[in-house]
Amino acid sequence: MSLIRARTDSPFRAAAAARARKDENARRAFFVITLLPVALILVISAALFVRAWPILSVYSPADLLFGKIWKPASGQFGFLPFILGTVWVTVVGLLLAVPPCILVSIYLSEYAHDRTRALAKPVLDLLAAIPPVVYGVWGLLAIVPFVDDVLAPLADRWLAAVPIFRVTQPTGFGILAGGIVLAVMIAPLIISVTFEVFLTVPNDLRHASLAVGATRWQTIRTIVLPKVMPGIVAAAALGTSRAFGETIAVLMVVGNVPNIPTSVFDTAYPLPALIANNYGEMMSIPLYDAALLGAALVLLAVVLVFNILSMLALQRMTRRT
Amino acid sequence: MNMKKNRFERRHLMEALMKALMRGSFVIVAGALGLILWTIIARGLPSLSWSMVSQVPKGGYYMGKEGGILNAIIGSAYLASGGTLLAVLLSLPIALYLKTYLGTSKWGGYVRLSLDVLWGIPSIVYGAFGFALMIMFGMRASLLAGIIVLALVELPIMTRAMDEVIRRMPADLEQAALALGSTKLEVALSVVTRQMLPGIVTAILLAFGRGIGDAASVLFTAGYTDRIPTSLMRPTASLPLAVFFQLGSPYAEVRERGYAAALILTIIVLAVSFGARFLSGRLNRYTVK
Amino acid sequence: MRKLTLCLFSLLTIASLALGACGPAGGSASSSGPEAGASDPGALSGTISVSGAFALYPMMTVWAEEFSRLHPGVQFDVQGGGAGKGMTDAIAGAVDIGMISRSIKPEEEAQGIFWVSVTKDAVFPIISEKNPVADGVMAKGITQEVFNKIYVTGEIVTWGQVIGDPSVTDEIHVFTRSDAAGAAEQWAKYSGGKAQEDLLGVGVNGEPPMVDTVMKDPLGIGYGNLNSIFDLSGGGLVPGILIPPIDINGNGQADADETYTVKEDAFGAVATGKYPSPPARFENLATKGKPTGLVLAFIQWILTDGQQYLEAAGYVPLTAEQQAESLAKLK
Repeated sequence: MSLIRARTDSPFRAAAAARARKDENARRAFFVITLLPVALILVISAALFVRAWPILSVYSPADLLFGKIWKPASGQFGFLPFILGTVWVTVVGLLLAVPPCILVSIYLSEYAHDRTRALAKPVLDLLAAIPPVVYGVWGLLAIVPFVDDVLAPLADRWLAAVPIFRVTQPTGFGILAGGIVLAVMIAPLIISVTFEVFLTVPNDLRHASLAVGATRWQTIRTIVLPKVMPGIVAAAALGTSRAFGETIAVLMVVGNVPNIPTSVFDTAYPLPALIANNYGEMMSIPLYDAALLGAALVLLAVVLVFNILSMLALQRMTRRT
Repeated sequence: MNMKKNRFERRHLMEALMKALMRGSFVIVAGALGLILWTIIARGLPSLSWSMVSQVPKGGYYMGKEGGILNAIIGSAYLASGGTLLAVLLSLPIALYLKTYLGTSKWGGYVRLSLDVLWGIPSIVYGAFGFALMIMFGMRASLLAGIIVLALVELPIMTRAMDEVIRRMPADLEQAALALGSTKLEVALSVVTRQMLPGIVTAILLAFGRGIGDAASVLFTAGYTDRIPTSLMRPTASLPLAVFFQLGSPYAEVRERGYAAALILTIIVLAVSFGARFLSGRLNRYTVK
Repeated sequence: MRKLTLCLFSLLTIASLALGACGPAGGSASSSGPEAGASDPGALSGTISVSGAFALYPMMTVWAEEFSRLHPGVQFDVQGGGAGKGMTDAIAGAVDIGMISRSIKPEEEAQGIFWVSVTKDAVFPIISEKNPVADGVMAKGITQEVFNKIYVTGEIVTWGQVIGDPSVTDEIHVFTRSDAAGAAEQWAKYSGGKAQEDLLGVGVNGEPPMVDTVMKDPLGIGYGNLNSIFDLSGGGLVPGILIPPIDINGNGQADADETYTVKEDAFGAVATGKYPSPPARFENLATKGKPTGLVLAFIQWILTDGQQYLEAAGYVPLTAEQQAESLAKLK
């Protein structure tokens, strides 16, 4: 409480009391508002669950999650192709993004001049600010033709023996295109999170290592990286959840065909794209709306798990400074 | 460890190699940005015209005839402004409360964690949630529904960014104010907001930029129309959906105009981004150094 | 400084409130009501809201504009969303008119849906100009049975089987639509399936990519709407694409009236009914209950004066009998 109460003059005490009351009221009002974030998570989960209940009560979760056939008009709601589609695109995106992003992060935190760092910030901010639909257009105009004209023929020539690189359909749309676009989209996130994590390592450790003659890279490899590994994993988890939920950009380049992927050149149909593409038909086929909102629920569940775990880990790491 | 200063020693080669890889990665990332901007500008510029930004779609617009996407530009402006305003009204109190009363408390930790989690929820889930609510309450696709869902999407982004900024509040300013007899509320409203104004404005504009560009949340909730919205309860067009729908057209001219629309959207978002930077620089006038 | 922020906030608030105030009152009603100016039949006013099939969407915007030009007091809110959405919205009373690019099901009629056909369009099969057996296919045509075996049962897998020449072993690259499309529904019905999901083939998302894909793949076969296949301004086929004649009379060869290389031929065949339905189809407008007032006037106009705008847009006008039939239904 403030020092106001210490004063004994009456006119001041009245005014002070009024201000203190205002403070108390505002405190209560603001407290209620802070309930909002927590409440929101619960309300969203509940609402989706309620709307998805019709289908959850008819089919078992195993049927839905592992069912392979998606033919809603005949009452078959197998989500497996969509779940696998999402997983494939996300994994490709992560594999393409994480190694370069860690390198960039290391570079920015350990090696770069202030000038480079100053240049990097706007670049990353801009990449993060570009709307997903613009990424989708870029994917359509630049990446899909690239996959079609450059990567697919290369894979055909050199990698035809490897099943996951087999070119299975003639268009450039597919998991690889989606993965490339996703990689660029999650790059700013991974870079900035790992950058923060690198900053948490105290410099004395680095200096000690350098003092005994290790090169910078040796220092990083043996001292810094082990310490920040949990943070890097957390960053990758955040990137995963972001990639899982990205809708529009992926939808425009991934092909949207509900088959179970066997190659990165396959087309796929991720969960968010399923929801976005079919909302118009939702009400005409029985249980379709429950199915789609159930898909949203699955998405929410996955994202929540990844996010809560990684956020907890990161909060613990960055609070140590 | 071998102390010979041999330049071709393996670890030095490793160092050089890693540095090269790192620099290369950085070039790739920066290059990606350049490539994106280049592609959008190169394909969008030819179809960009004054009528695109000044007219609504006329009858034959979707078959290649006259008109523009003014409906989407204004629709997005309304959506993002409304959503951002609503989000600010909730974000700023939360951020201030976190700073003022919950600095290290457990509840503050839960709130922050919730905000971080909300931040990670994809906008399609918010859109699906909004849609579920709309069905429950019998609402139809409208500007208001879009604004509410956008506010939900923007809330965690804005609050998180504000929180980051407000936490860096110099303690001495705060303590000086308290020592002079201010209540905590007064400190929050007068001192903290003023001092952190550049950061707060940046946070707001950041969320605004996100709101203009987000398609998944308005897809179900805001509908689409060819007219400029005149009421909160009617559907409204939005720029991202305008791009999306035009790209799916069988007419090549319409698709080309979709690219131009994407360029317009990109320009707007870049302008907001630079504007944020500029504005926060100017607002530094009001802070105490 | 606080004044500035206060001003900005107030401005934004006022702007948003003004938006709410100055629109037509009442958000829960489906529109501001079909208020026909009862005293002066020419002075119609009000708002008509429409949603539904993307197939009809470009045409509806043309009709909306022309109608508003004649009746400046009338405003339109037209949305896409797909035939499913149009039906849902019509049943729920969320829109005045639903654009339905398929036939209306009995369950939907049971919920009070009234509908009329307002135009025809058609789905055509397509192959690439570069197809090695293009000449053979163009000469012989393809029967419905063969389409069934390509698209539904999967018994026919080589182009040789299509033209009856076992020496040709090139496999057919079958393409279908992966997005919910009226065109796919029609093609499915024609090929003997129940619904779009019964069609075999590699899914392509969207019509332009479908046409593109078949164009580039010499061994490809696909299907598409009139306005994607014909260059509407020139009247000829989109370069690189051929329409394999459907052997309608089953005589084993492609007759002149089964072969379409220019828009007029295709239009004529669809209009007269020579081209089978499916894959030709009527595009329908659905309303909850029989339309009255403004909505009725609009639909009647579509069936009479509105028909003149169809051909240029790639849709087939109704024949005189079909027009009369629809108009009679509205009475």
